[in-house]
Amino acid sequence: MTAIKAESRRPADETLGEALRSHGISRRGFLKFCATTASLMALPPAMIPVVASALEKARRPSVIWLSFQECTGCTESLTRSHATTIESLIFDHISLDYHHTLQAASGTAAEAAREAAMRDNHGQYLLIVDGSIPLGNPGYSTIAGVSNLDMLRETAEGAAGIIAIGTCAAYGGLPHAAPNPTGAVSVSEIITDKPIVNVPGCPPIPVVITGVLTHFLTFGTLPELDSIGRPMAFYGQNIHDRCYRRSFYDRGLFAETFDDEGARKGWCLYKLGCKGPVTYNACATTKWNNGTSFPIESGHPCLGCSEPDFWDMGGFYRTLSMPTGHFSTALGYGVAIGAAAGLASALLGRSERDKARSAHEKVSVDDLDKGGSS
Amino acid sequence: MTQPSLEKGVNILREQIDGPVAAFFSSCVHCGMCAEACLFYTETGDPKYTPIHKLEPMRRLWEREFTFAGRIKKWLGLAPPISDEELEQWQPVVYDSCTLCGRCSMVCPVGNDITYMIRRMREGMAASGNAPQGLIGATTRAVKLGSPMGVKLATLEAQARHVKISTGLDVPFDEEGAEYMVVLSSMEVVNYPEYLEAITRIFHEAGKRWTISTEAFEATNSGIQIGVSDIAAELVGRIVAAAEKLQVKTVITPECGHAYTALRWEGPNLIGRPFLFKVRHILEVLDDLREQGLLQTSGMENDRITFHDPCQLVRRGGVVDPPRNLLNMVSNNFVEMEDHGTMNWCCGAGGGVSANEAADEIRLKAFKRKKAQLESLEVETLVTACANCRIQLEEGIEENEMEIPVVGITEMLAAHLVEHPSSDEGEQP
Repeated sequence: MTAIKAESRRPADETLGEALRSHGISRRGFLKFCATTASLMALPPAMIPVVASALEKARRPSVIWLSFQECTGCTESLTRSHATTIESLIFDHISLDYHHTLQAASGTAAEAAREAAMRDNHGQYLLIVDGSIPLGNPGYSTIAGVSNLDMLRETAEGAAGIIAIGTCAAYGGLPHAAPNPTGAVSVSEIITDKPIVNVPGCPPIPVVITGVLTHFLTFGTLPELDSIGRPMAFYGQNIHDRCYRRSFYDRGLFAETFDDEGARKGWCLYKLGCKGPVTYNACATTKWNNGTSFPIESGHPCLGCSEPDFWDMGGFYRTLSMPTGHFSTALGYGVAIGAAAGLASALLGRSERDKARSAHEKVSVDDLDKGGSS
Repeated sequence: MTQPSLEKGVNILREQIDGPVAAFFSSCVHCGMCAEACLFYTETGDPKYTPIHKLEPMRRLWEREFTFAGRIKKWLGLAPPISDEELEQWQPVVYDSCTLCGRCSMVCPVGNDITYMIRRMREGMAASGNAPQGLIGATTRAVKLGSPMGVKLATLEAQARHVKISTGLDVPFDEEGAEYMVVLSSMEVVNYPEYLEAITRIFHEAGKRWTISTEAFEATNSGIQIGVSDIAAELVGRIVAAAEKLQVKTVITPECGHAYTALRWEGPNLIGRPFLFKVRHILEVLDDLREQGLLQTSGMENDRITFHDPCQLVRRGGVVDPPRNLLNMVSNNFVEMEDHGTMNWCCGAGGGVSANEAADEIRLKAFKRKKAQLESLEVETLVTACANCRIQLEEGIEENEMEIPVVGITEMLAAHLVEHPSSDEGEQP
């Protein structure tokens, strides 16, 4: 009947502070988390106590997590790799009332939990979505016999806000890639009357997810967003601008292949197709795997996974400045059309000239003076 | 006798719009660099003398009838046809203030040969009756009397007798199988007969057989200057017929710029076939003789001298080094003007300007550029290789009360020629 969670069960009115302490998290550790989160979100230091006190007092909000056309990578990213960190505990202390990968309940009981949460917290619960929604045929993806589209509409109706986790939910992602056989679309293409925060990435960085939640818990509002719905605090900066290999780019030192001298020396991966210059994400600063590294540090170019349509940007290993479309074909047509137009014009011009030539009247010295006088 | 008409002129302009002309018009980027290259612009500061602007009626015709956008404009009534008044209005810029010197073509950043286009523009101007009276007169005399200045064979024969008296050498007429056939400009026959004497002596010393045709001794071509290819072809045709009749190997054009252009570069195109002989400028021939050791001189001029490059010979014709080689044989004080060689400034009277009384005032204004060049060098003697340049230079120098004698290269060389006493029968090896 009530929320069923993977491990623990706690009264819904326990505050976050109480929950953390009962889990052995010290006050010092908690404040450290608050400071980290505040700085990540580019909040001034004066806000740290505000964050701390807000979190201490925060009631665990009800969260419903819906998974549509996805690979569970977003959930994996969030739960497993950071299983023992303080971020994961935050999740223990929201009331995650429905998450069909993590919840123990199944079948009717699971759906009943979702319906109960929706009813009890109507207008107040947070809806998290991962995966895209197929518009082609409702049967492409269903949960308990309900199409993704219907479930999203139904659940979004009473939500305070929606967080679209992962590039699929945010922009359509892999299912949306050409030729998009299922007619996959993002959450924001269906729901237009609710605040939506896009947290793209394939998968997104865990701390970005928890950061957005923290912002919601602290201020009761969703964070400031960029033009494509991403929180500015995490997606305001360019990978390229913050990349530790940027100095090699500036000096024109590039790895040309994955096993050349440049690659071994850690030079810029631009020519190997790095999408860093057009990608906005926090990878280069917060990094992955508990702050260990990010893809470029492992010698692989950025794929641009937090950008819309990154699958269709012309190939992961194609240098950015190279044309992405079927350039040679287009050029061929262009040249052919241009040449045909030019030829037609030239022939027309030539026929004008030839007409004039055949109409040529020989000019003699007697034909020069129009006055007739000498 | 027919009347010139606008219709005829416009039709001929249409004929002139060939591939290069169309490409040049469509490539023009309107940068205006040709203005700074034109001495009629630099000496007056009037933008109407911008070389590409001199072609405006032709450009409008091209746009109106040969371009896609122009055809639409024409269809919408936005591109009015060329009128006779417009062409008449353009006469001063197309004829009086263009010497076809080719300096604008050199500076054009997109490589437009503007001079080539003005030469073609004149075809339409002449056929529509908009050529200047002076040029019409010169052209008529060239066709009817054989010389634009009305010089007849008798005058030339009289000059030949003077040569015989002063040198004891015959000027050979109509000698079949001679190596060289020499053609002359009227100006040389009348004003500068020293040229005839100089080549007579030089060829004698070099042991070359040469001749002058009594049927075609005039080298100049008013048809080129006024812009009537039919007439230009007739005038070229006379020389070709004479040279092929006498079976000469080479026709030598005189110290005259446009005569070289007319025969060497335009000639075969005008008559529509290759010549059976070579065409060379006298300076090219003299330079060859120098190389072969057949032209020997003694003594040096000590005067500070400089060389005025005739445009048609140097810039348009490519004869750049021979005059320098020859001058250095007889001068130890030869200095170059600024912009010498292919970028030298025109004297201001080429391309028919000297035959056009309407241009008298502006051509002397244009001379100011040459005056400045001469004054900065402080030379004592000016050498050139074109009778037309020479007469303009002399007039300009006199007008500006300067005191610099002008001489032709050939006569200067002849003055230093080493002559062997046994010159009556024995020919040089």
